[in-house]
Amino acid sequence: MTPRWVIWLAGILLAAVIAAALYFPSLRHQVDKVAQLTEKTAEQARRELIPPAPVRTGGPMVNAKLYWGTRAQDGTLRAVIVDLPLSDDPALRAKQVLNTLLAGPVDPEARTLPPDAALLAFYILPDGTGIADFSEALGTSIPSGIQSEQTAVESITRTLDANVPQVQRLKILIHGQEVDSLAGHLDLTQTFQVNGSGLAAQPAPSGTSIITRPIQKAYEKMKAATKR
Amino acid sequence: MVVLDPAHGGTDLGARGTEGIRESDVVLLFAAQVKKSLEFQGFQVIQTRDANDNPSFDDRSARVNAQRGAVFITLHVASTGLAGTARVYVMPEIPPTEHRNGLIPWDKAQAPFVGLSKKLGDLVQAELAKRFKGSPTTALVAPVRQLRTTAAPAIAVEISSVSVADRAELDRMVPGIADAIARGVSEFKLSYVVPTIASPGGGTQP
Repeated sequence: MTPRWVIWLAGILLAAVIAAALYFPSLRHQVDKVAQLTEKTAEQARRELIPPAPVRTGGPMVNAKLYWGTRAQDGTLRAVIVDLPLSDDPALRAKQVLNTLLAGPVDPEARTLPPDAALLAFYILPDGTGIADFSEALGTSIPSGIQSEQTAVESITRTLDANVPQVQRLKILIHGQEVDSLAGHLDLTQTFQVNGSGLAAQPAPSGTSIITRPIQKAYEKMKAATKR
Repeated sequence: MVVLDPAHGGTDLGARGTEGIRESDVVLLFAAQVKKSLEFQGFQVIQTRDANDNPSFDDRSARVNAQRGAVFITLHVASTGLAGTARVYVMPEIPPTEHRNGLIPWDKAQAPFVGLSKKLGDLVQAELAKRFKGSPTTALVAPVRQLRTTAAPAIAVEISSVSVADRAELDRMVPGIADAIARGVSEFKLSYVVPTIASPGGGTQP
């Protein structure tokens, strides 16, 4: 190889290094931009999957009747009156009461639904059938058994019956799908009667309306989500 | 004939207690003792599973639906409830379905048997209430998935619970549960007439 070719080769290599030095920062900027976009899309998907329960903030509080269990965990349900700013829209109202039911009572032993379960969606069909779509945790985290599964479903149907008269019957889906049973026992292929499933209301221990700490937290979350 | 169904099994452990008690194990023990008591009363008994496997709901139903004049008992141990009590569950009324070609739809197989199941359930529950204080006196109603596809008088017996501190508490219930079920089924047998299903020609099919 003659010295002239060496000079040419060195020149080409130098030009390539300079071009790369100029191009790489721009490439990195583009990669960062795409990564940010992907992150936003994932967050967007999550928000679409679990929409925040809308709350009519500032509206008058309504005496909502929620059915939780008892410390004895013997399948009996007890009505608790809770002040909630319930929406006039039946589907939103159903979401509000069910999210409050999921948030749980003061006494965690009286809980009827697993704390990690979430209500993904709630719709009401024209014939009065309410469709409640829960996350998989409803089936996987609930204590297994006929009694506990029946108590869970009854706490939902009785709470709907007491607060959302438009819902006549209930169909439970898990992550958008019909499943055979809740946790190996209760049949989820059928609908559950809602209308007329209510118990006689029993007042809260103090005789006045109460808002529990978990419920208060749920409100704050819902309000924050609505503001966003 | 009696078809006994120890629920769950295989990878499905059923209810699990904090002390490591597993429903799928306990029900096998209960089934073995119930089988002995029923055989002592003169019944032929088959089980939907004898080992740690997990037939599907439909496979279990198929075992009893292939028999004529059988009764079906599925055994469970709950996660909740007052320890030392036992409950019997039966299906709620299923809306009547037209029996085309004299066949019962599989997913509503229990429909013609709901009344008989209630009778069987009440008899077994009454026997359980005598032995286990705090148990209900009549059968409870719940849409139990396993019962829906069963074309026979069918009940679910659930015992409380896997949450006991000592497995021995459950083991002590075994003879009483077995005896109560055997006596309840024996009493039921005296009045059990297999229902007839209307056929397309207007006749009836046993």
